[in-house]
Amino acid sequence: MMKIVVMLKAVPDTETRFQIREDEKDVVYDDSIEWIPSPYDEYALEAAIQTKEKLGGTVTLLTLGKGVESQVIRKALAMGADDAVLVNNEDLANSDPLGIAKVLAKELEALQPDLVFAGRLATDTADSFVGPAVGELLNMPVVAEISGLEAEEGKIIVTRDATARKEKFEITLPAIVTTDKGLNEPRYPKLPDIMKAKRKKVDEKDGSGYLEFAGTANRKVTQIKVEFPPAKKGGVIFTGDLDEAVEKLVDALHNKEKVI
Amino acid sequence: MKVAVFLESYNGKTVKAGLEAAAAAKAMGGDEYIAIVLGRDLDATIADAGKIGFSKVYKAEIDPYNPSVFAKAIASVEADYYVLPGTVWGREIGPRLAVKFDAAYAGDITKVVDGKTFVRSIHGNKILSTIQVDAPKVVVTVRPGVFDTPEFGEGSAEVNDISVEASEVDQKAKLTEVLAASTDKIELTEADIIVSGGRGVGGPENFKLIEELADVLGAAVGASRAVVDAGWRPHSEQVGQTGKFVSPKLYIAVGISGAIQHLAGMSTSDIIVAINKDEEAPIFKVADYGIVADLFKAVPKLIEKIKEVKSQ
Ligand SMILES: Cc1cc2nc3c(=O)[nH]c(=O)nc-3n(C[C@H](O)[C@H](O)[C@H](O)COP(=O)(O)OP(=O)(O)OC[C@H]3O[C@@H](n4cnc5c(N)ncnc54)[C@H](O)[C@@H]3O)c2cc1C
Ligand SMILES: Nc1ncnc2c1ncn2[C@@H]1O[C@H](COP(=O)(O)O)[C@@H](O)[C@H]1O
Repeated sequence: MMKIVVMLKAVPDTETRFQIREDEKDVVYDDSIEWIPSPYDEYALEAAIQTKEKLGGTVTLLTLGKGVESQVIRKALAMGADDAVLVNNEDLANSDPLGIAKVLAKELEALQPDLVFAGRLATDTADSFVGPAVGELLNMPVVAEISGLEAEEGKIIVTRDATARKEKFEITLPAIVTTDKGLNEPRYPKLPDIMKAKRKKVDEKDGSGYLEFAGTANRKVTQIKVEFPPAKKGGVIFTGDLDEAVEKLVDALHNKEKVI
Repeated sequence: MKVAVFLESYNGKTVKAGLEAAAAAKAMGGDEYIAIVLGRDLDATIADAGKIGFSKVYKAEIDPYNPSVFAKAIASVEADYYVLPGTVWGREIGPRLAVKFDAAYAGDITKVVDGKTFVRSIHGNKILSTIQVDAPKVVVTVRPGVFDTPEFGEGSAEVNDISVEASEVDQKAKLTEVLAASTDKIELTEADIIVSGGRGVGGPENFKLIEELADVLGAAVGASRAVVDAGWRPHSEQVGQTGKFVSPKLYIAVGISGAIQHLAGMSTSDIIVAINKDEEAPIFKVADYGIVADLFKAVPKLIEKIKEVKSQ
């Protein structure tokens, strides 16, 4: 029986066209934004469910949220998680990466999991921080960015892509892994499961006791400005005679841009 | 301010992203720069450290790689800033260092404004974020492919040994096997040129054409997610929001529509070329050069022309 925890973050849909706030210190998060599970966290959740299906046990979701997570958590419960812990506190959720990792680590400590899955990065803030940081905080082994997993009682074997090679690790549990694309195909929840998910337990807490501990008011990292990447100047698009187009393109790449 | 750089070494060579991290670190305005070199077969990287201007190298033979033990070794060297390449190893070690020192963490930076101010991309590269760090110790990882590698000179560095011991917990994650990719293959995140194919290529067998174009250019092969999900190419080749972030000097997109999640992974490339039969394809909006044509006609001609130019 495995106690499995998935760290799940809600992020804006990857199609979102952002607007920049007037003070330029952040993007606008308003009602127009659709919140989804961070795509890598879906691989984490699918891996957790498959591990449970193979070895038995429970899958608990752990989210530090800012009040927009309820749909995302319901979807994850419908996919097959058993229950959820939601620390719902906007200030806390907006802490710097180390603050967030400290809160998640505290909650994990209380849950006493055998195996923890996180995404390799949250697609909004893209820190790639939480998994390994929580491992260091809890003195647990962590292997990041896995795209292969075999789970047995008490042990997992994982593979991951590193620069021009694959690395294979054997890990004795309890442990944390972060998940990459290629690990699995996340399932879609079925209608009866969506209904069932409504009755699953979400343990919601306000987390205000953590504010000082997470250093929320004394940030070590502060975002001071956001902007759009510089727009590309209009490109040169050839639509006419193909031989001429190819000739001009190769000439430009060779003589003007000097990239070939 | 003392700046330590994890000069990553693998297979007897300095990893390019490690050299780039050293270049980024130089822009942070330190008074003293030291390199940390860990693993095995370290001689070449120790020599490189001297050649690119480090006066001191701290080294430890640690084999096999272990994230926690590497983090301990780096933490045993006293510094104010720790700068690592944003490779898998760097991304795995950096957060551990930040926890050890209760440090500020600046992950995957793309620009150094000054020693306290960095730029990074968020929201799938759709937004540039400028961050400021405020802590006695700072850990930075540097996005590969963005900074130029430093000049090599004649210098040599003083070498110091460091030692670490693996704890019982460290032994619980063991690197048991490394499966090498074929050696003639160029790694996407290290490549100067990438040729990527999309669904327009039509099937796995047609990727021969993409490979051939990549070959004449000495380029790596990439792919869109549609192609990876269809099983035509391995996911290690996927470029985009849920694939690799790449920033080569030249990116050629063939039969790729240019969905926002694909653009997220490659729009920072220096020069983007698109080949697509649909004039309206969004990829043309980010392309510096484009050809509107059937790829099966355009790519063979392109290969011939490039061969011609290369043989001159
Ligand atoms: C959460 C999420 C994450 C995602 N992450 C990624 C990611 O990391 N990377 C990624 O790439 N996508 C990603 N996607 C998918 C993305 O939205 C697109 O579906 C995908 O990029 C489309 O791939 P494509 O351009 O190859 O295919 P298509 O969109 O089908 O485009 C094929 C193109 O080929 C052209 N074409 C067809 N035949 C020819 C011909 N003979 N000659 C020339 N041109 C031709 C067509 O005009 C068309 O423009 C993600 C989606 C989601 C929802
Ligand atoms: N607020 C959060 N709540 C729950 N899990 C989180 C949160 N932030 C990050 N994570 C987990 O940590 C992973 C990496 O996030 P990050 O370090 O922010 O890139 C995510 O994919 C999640 O699995």
